[in-house]
Amino acid sequence: MNPKIERVIYLGLIVVLAGLLVSFGKKEVELQKQIPLTAQELYQKLANPNVNLQIIDVRPYEPEDEDYEDEYLYYTDIHLPGAIPLPNCDESQAPEEALEQINPYIPTVIVSKDGDPEIFKKCAQKFKIAQNLAGGVVAWDEAGLPTEDGEYEPPKIGGGGGCL
Amino acid sequence: MSMIERVLYWIAIVVLIIGIIGLKGQISELEKKAQTAQTQVMEGGEEK
Repeated sequence: MNPKIERVIYLGLIVVLAGLLVSFGKKEVELQKQIPLTAQELYQKLANPNVNLQIIDVRPYEPEDEDYEDEYLYYTDIHLPGAIPLPNCDESQAPEEALEQINPYIPTVIVSKDGDPEIFKKCAQKFKIAQNLAGGVVAWDEAGLPTEDGEYEPPKIGGGGGCL
Repeated sequence: MSMIERVLYWIAIVVLIIGIIGLKGQISELEKKAQTAQTQVMEGGEEK
């Protein structure tokens, strides 16, 4: 066979296979978005220093009046360690120091009060790879996993270590 | 076309095929999980 033609055939085959690989990769990312993470799975991921992910908390940041009974309603009452507040997935409602920490290109876990799929759908569009936390903060707390309260504190430069 | 060049092309093709098979397996597993998650969400919605 003519070497030029043979080369073109090989290269064509490689291009087609590479295209298939890319489209399967995209499909995998899309599917991952549909599968919520359980609290235990997220905890295991956070405990692994090689896993790089951010947690975005979409609940309201702080109460406007003191009269409420639901302890899971506001970020400042209870949140996952290291979670970045982004109330209702709206940048205008987030604290300024939190906005600086948000990176749309790293794997993201969206945390709501009870894992609401609607707010997740809205928020997932803002991140390249996003997963929902099944059961939200309620499930995380009920599983007895570590929580924090109070205002958002950005990670200190050179602080090192994980958040758990 | 040299033998080395031909072998390199075949290595690339085999690696890509292995990658595709691996991803295909992962995708079908994820599809099952997504289906389960979807059912759970729908059942949860009906309960509400």
